[in-house]
This record gives sequence, C-alpha cells and structure tokens, in this order.
Amino acid sequence: MRHYENLVIVKPTFTAEEIQASIKAVEEVITSNGGEIAATNAMGMRKLAYPIDKNERGYYYVIYYSVAPAAIAEIERRFRINEDLLRFVTIKYDSNREIKAWNGLVEKANKASEAPKAEEAPKAEEVSATETPKEEEAPATEAAAE
Amino acid sequence: MSEKRKYKKRYCKYCEAKVDFMDYKEVASLRFSLSERYKIMPRRLTGNCKRHQDMITVVIKRARAAALVPYTVSRKQVVTAPFENLR
Repeated sequence: MRHYENLVIVKPTFTAEEIQASIKAVEEVITSNGGEIAATNAMGMRKLAYPIDKNERGYYYVIYYSVAPAAIAEIERRFRINEDLLRFVTIKYDSNREIKAWNGLVEKANKASEAPKAEEAPKAEEVSATETPKEEEAPATEAAAE
Repeated sequence: MSEKRKYKKRYCKYCEAKVDFMDYKEVASLRFSLSERYKIMPRRLTGNCKRHQDMITVVIKRARAAALVPYTVSRKQVVTAPFENLR
C-alpha cells in the first residue's frame, strides 16, 4: 500500500447534485480497486487559471487515499474515460518525508471537514452570495488590464 | 567586482522558514518564486538554494497541471495584482 493524492476537477455545467454524484463515482472507482480513502477535501467551485475545454471554472475535489501501486494504472484509465472530469492530477507520496506530509495533510483535511459540517447549510448560501460579485469583479480587472 | 550588484545579498527564504514539504494547492505560497508572467524565477534572482528550488519547480508544475497557476500569461492578461482574480 502506498499513499496517494488525487485532485479532480468536475465540469462546472453540472448542478450540485450531479457534482456530488460524479464525485461519488470517482470515490467508487478508488474503493473498488482496493483503495482506502483517508480524507477528502472539497475546494469548491474555482476559477481555472486557464480555460480547459472552453470551461472557465471548475469544481475542485481532493481525495487522499492509500492503494497498491499496481492499481493506479487502472484508476487513471477509468478517470480518463470519465467525461465528467475536466482534469485529474495524481500525486504519489513515497519517501519518508512525503509520507509525513501526507499524514499532516490528511489530518488537516479531516479537521476541516469535521468543523464546518454544522455550517454546511448556510455555507451553500454564502457560496452563491460570494460568487455573484466575483463575476462582476473579473471583467472589471480585465478592463483595467486593457 | 567592479560591476554593481543589482540585487541584495540573497539567502534562501525556504531554508530560513525550514520548509520541508510544499503543497501545490497553496497557490499563495508559490507566488514568491513566480514572475509576474508566471514564469518560474531563476535561483540567481530569488536566492533559493538548490534543494528548495528543485522542490518548488516540481510543485509549480503540478499546480500548473491542476489549473491552479497559469502556464503563460499573454500581454493582455497581465494584471497588476495577480491571483486576486483566481481567488
């Protein structure tokens, strides 16, 4: 068993339920290949640094898990087939120092997911509230740059 | 030594902070080693030591693949306060 981290970017055109469903499918791929998910971290809808397939934004989701190294090829193959994903990044945590960092990241992610669980309902409102001014901001900065 | 030194005496900021591991998801911390066009700054300008420069190059390239940091910025897109539009 080796420690890994996978970042997936889900298409932004989906509704919240569809995003959750496709994330569940991603986790299913990992667990069905013998992986043990240690922690997950939803980074939420973000603006992409550059457009991917003409999408300007994407839903970021990070999964920390440990799995036998041989299974990674199959997991990546399944991700490549999956059309819900704009991009995935797999990172291996191999050396002692990296494993230490992985443990730290897992702890941090678990803490973060435990704490705001009670606030999840208002959070959704906040996201929609904060997103609207963002879109107004973006064209403003572009205009300033020109 | 007749040539004037353009930059201050350099030291590795990461060594000073005793950084052992960098996370590619923390975009703000990568900013130091990126130029305003999002090129990786050379070691001779930032003063990073070899070990940390090797770490940061790997981390920046990961962040680029994950669309957290752009590969290039065209002249139109260069913003005076970068990363604020990414947040």
